[in-house]
Amino acid sequence: MRPVNAADARKMRSIIAEDPEWSLELVPLLTTLCLQYIIKHFEGKPILDELAANYKAYVLQRLPTSLPLTVTANLISDESFWKRCCEGRWAVCDISTYDNSWKRMFFERYLENIIEFFIPDSTDTKTVLDVVPLCRNYVKRLKVSQLLPPIKEVPRFDEDDRSDCASDTGSEGPTIDHFDFRILLDKLPNLEELSVVYGVKGCGMNFEWNLFEFTFRDCESLAKALNSCKTLQVFRIHRSKVDDEKCCMLVSQLLDHPSLHELDFSHNHIGDRGARAIGKLLNRSQLKSLVVCNNQIRGPGAQALAHALSKNTTLMSLNLRLNRIGDEGGQALAQALVKNNTLVNLHLGGNNMTEPTAVALSQALVENCTLKNLNLSNNRLGVDGGKVLEEGMSHNSSLVECDIRLTDVGQDSEYCIIQALRTNQSQASRKNQTQYDLSAKV
Amino acid sequence: MHQPEPLAGEETVESGPSVESKNQEERITARRLRIAARNEAKKRQELGEDPQDKEDVQEETRKSQKEVEKSKKHMAKLQSDGLELVTNIQVAVDARESDRRTVLEEACRLRREKLENEAKSSQEKFEEITRKWTDAKLKQTPLDLRDALNSQQQLCEQILADKNKLISELQQELKASDDRFVKDLKRQAKDVDLLIERMEEQIASLRKSYREDLQQIENSFDEERKTLLTKHRKKWEHQSKDRSEKELKNMMQGISLLEEHEDLLQKLRVQRAEEYNIDKIRMDTEVQNLRKKLQDVKFNCHLNEEKLDYKYEVLKKREDENAILKSQLKRKIIRMQDALNNLKSKCANQEKQSKAEEQSLENENARIKQQYKDMQKKARHFAALDAERFEKFWLMSEDEVKALAHRVLETDRIIHEQQLGLAWVSPSLPFMERSGPIEPKTFNTASQVATDTQREDLVQESEGLEDIGSGVNRRTVKRILELLCDELGFLVESKLLMLVSHLEKNEQSLIKLDAIFSAIGIESEKDVYKMAEFLMNYKQHGRKQRELMEEEETTNNPPSDFIHQNDLLVALKDFTAQYCRPHDVQASQKSSVLKLDMRDEPEDAAYWESIVKVIPESKLRLWSALDTALNKYHTVLTERAELLVETQDVQQQNTELRQLLRLYTTSKASAVPEMQPARMKRFPM
Repeated sequence: MRPVNAADARKMRSIIAEDPEWSLELVPLLTTLCLQYIIKHFEGKPILDELAANYKAYVLQRLPTSLPLTVTANLISDESFWKRCCEGRWAVCDISTYDNSWKRMFFERYLENIIEFFIPDSTDTKTVLDVVPLCRNYVKRLKVSQLLPPIKEVPRFDEDDRSDCASDTGSEGPTIDHFDFRILLDKLPNLEELSVVYGVKGCGMNFEWNLFEFTFRDCESLAKALNSCKTLQVFRIHRSKVDDEKCCMLVSQLLDHPSLHELDFSHNHIGDRGARAIGKLLNRSQLKSLVVCNNQIRGPGAQALAHALSKNTTLMSLNLRLNRIGDEGGQALAQALVKNNTLVNLHLGGNNMTEPTAVALSQALVENCTLKNLNLSNNRLGVDGGKVLEEGMSHNSSLVECDIRLTDVGQDSEYCIIQALRTNQSQASRKNQTQYDLSAKV
Repeated sequence: MHQPEPLAGEETVESGPSVESKNQEERITARRLRIAARNEAKKRQELGEDPQDKEDVQEETRKSQKEVEKSKKHMAKLQSDGLELVTNIQVAVDARESDRRTVLEEACRLRREKLENEAKSSQEKFEEITRKWTDAKLKQTPLDLRDALNSQQQLCEQILADKNKLISELQQELKASDDRFVKDLKRQAKDVDLLIERMEEQIASLRKSYREDLQQIENSFDEERKTLLTKHRKKWEHQSKDRSEKELKNMMQGISLLEEHEDLLQKLRVQRAEEYNIDKIRMDTEVQNLRKKLQDVKFNCHLNEEKLDYKYEVLKKREDENAILKSQLKRKIIRMQDALNNLKSKCANQEKQSKAEEQSLENENARIKQQYKDMQKKARHFAALDAERFEKFWLMSEDEVKALAHRVLETDRIIHEQQLGLAWVSPSLPFMERSGPIEPKTFNTASQVATDTQREDLVQESEGLEDIGSGVNRRTVKRILELLCDELGFLVESKLLMLVSHLEKNEQSLIKLDAIFSAIGIESEKDVYKMAEFLMNYKQHGRKQRELMEEEETTNNPPSDFIHQNDLLVALKDFTAQYCRPHDVQASQKSSVLKLDMRDEPEDAAYWESIVKVIPESKLRLWSALDTALNKYHTVLTERAELLVETQDVQQQNTELRQLLRLYTTSKASAVPEMQPARMKRFPM
């Protein structure tokens, strides 16, 4: 059959199936070209929201991660782009701790990085302040794992170099203040969590004492910064040589803070005066969790804390691990437990407590019905103490966990206590089950 | 669900100590047991799942669930063990740390003590040295001084040695602690390694056990499923077999039944055919009959149809008419409605108007009353004036009349004396003496009559009956008045009654009568008598009537002249209807005209007549005769006079004619034509 007209003829001629090298890819679509152009010139002319959904996805998939943040920060909310950014920067990315938000993760880690490598007097504060407007809406948590001290003579750019030189320059620098948080905290409206370590990470053999100084002026600026940040909920300061005086200063600025509910002073040098200040803070804030493990709190400090605890109605968790509160503090805390009915977790491990504390605690266990976890490990309670505790446990129905390892308690009483805990556990789980059932029915 | 259990429990309890036992203690124990059982049941109920159910469920719990429970427990144990294992390291480290701290504290304390001791001892030594310095100052001899210096040096060296020793000791301690620090670091590194290792182990073991448990659970589920499957399949097969057997049996039964029914059907068919034939014949005849009937019915039907058609037509027409009528009526109703509305509105207007008119009329009435009063006043005034004028007029005309009479008499006398030559006697003239209008007679009023009668009652009771012109005696009048007084008390005002109550009886009745008369409209004495007469007449008239009806009743009563009490009111009503209306008018007129009309016309006329008749008839006839005679005499005289005048004229004419003749004779004829007409003219006159 002859073709009837020219159009048919053209159709006949363009049989794609016969052409093995033909591919649609050879002729990119106009839209694709446009989109590619947009991607290419995104820095100068960011066009994103005006695009249709499928083109938007196309553009976002192909945008380079090296784009300046000033362009992307407030424009792009797409997670896949930020995922690419994060994965491009860091090898390990655990998104679950960032509310499954890649963007938040990116900006938090970005800001943390900037702060951690901020060198006072030599780095311009603008580097921090420039980033603030970009990330202020996305940063909820700051985990600053190191703060660098200022460098005197030789300007250095690398951490290792700087620590090398730091050992050379000696420790007599007039100002060894660290990064001033005052310029930052009041500009982050969503900040909820702050962890600070005034020290250098991984200094290795370049160790120098003044790398780990927490000066009084640092403390002052930090305290004021904390006071200015009203959204803060969690504050942690670890391994920073916070002594009584600094603790008092921090606490005095945190009094009546509207939102703070977790405070962590682990691995510091807080003594009895600091403990007293913290006790005062307990009843002038909404603290739910307090961690002062590995400090130097002795009997009087613990008594102050116990006094505050007996009046407190918010605190649910108290960690006093590795202090030296002794029997004096232990007995005071046990008496406070009788009056308190909010505390759920109490850690008294490694506190030099002995039999008298065990007696007081067993009495407290009889009367208290809110405490669920109690850790008494590394206290020399002795066999008699164990027996007393066993008796107290037999009258308690709320305690679910009780750690009595390395307490020189007799085998029998340990066994009995564990049995009592088991029954409590099963009861609690049954209660939970019934509650679950009820809620399921409802 | 829960009820059976407590019951069962009770039963079991009853088998033991019974509540109805004779022993008191046993009863007590029984009750206690019962209470305990109930409490237990309650507690179990409170715990949520009813125990029986749970037991059932537990009995039924399949192996898989058991397996799940077991694995859960197992895993929990594993986890807690693993956690313990891992945390053991931390605890151990903590323990070591706390130990280290205690050791450190102890060492620190010892060191401090040592330092303090050292400081003390060195202080003592130093003091000794300083003391010796003073001693040395006292030494004079150089030898001694040297000795002293030597000893001082020795002592100083001793102190230095002590210090050095301490320093070296401390340095050693420092070194030892450095070593320990390194060791600690190493140990901690080891611990950390161990921790990591244990964690990994834990993870591995947990993973393994989880996997195993999962496998086991899956296996158990599989097994269960298989057993269940086989069980159900067996059951299914068994039941299907049963079913097929049953179906076969049922089919066989059905076939036999079918055959039986077929036989029966055949028989029935034959029977039915016979019956059918009979019925058919019967039916045919019936059909024919019915056809006939049908035709009849059809004919009737046709007839009826036509009739009905006609009627229907008629009715239709009527309906049309009715419709027309209805519409007309409706229209009419509407029109009527409109008219009604109009009338209503008109009526309302009328009412309004009438009200307004009434108002205006009332006003008019008031005005007229006022006018009337004014008029009355005027009338009275005019009456008085008229009376006065009348009197004046009267006097004047009387004077005139008297003068005329006097003249007449004078004339008469003259006539008598001069013409007739008769002696004249003057007639008696009584009216000449009197002057002024005649005074009218006065009438007694009704009340006066009443008082009269009353008084007469008192005074002239015994004088007997006195006749009054109308024929009604005073006694009857009095009785009638008494009757009126008694019966018509309602006409008297209550106020008046009260005022009157303390008066004498006669006076009372007098006042009452006065009021009654005024009410009825009786004013004059005449009226009273008229009334009495009427009542008497009425009585007689009424009795005639009543005697016809109540002969028996009246026989008992003594025949009395008086009107019966019951009739009185009716009689009075009639009386007032008859008399009082005109009387009222009269009275009102009378009162308005006052005494002017009370004059007696005929008397006045008589009076004037008497004056007219001063000249008697005979004298008049005389006068007329005289007149005629005189007239005749007069005519004669006049004739004589005329004749006298004629003679005079003729004499004059004669003279004139003589003159004319003389003239004519003297002056010939030229002036004659002119003289002739003057003469002609003068003649007719």
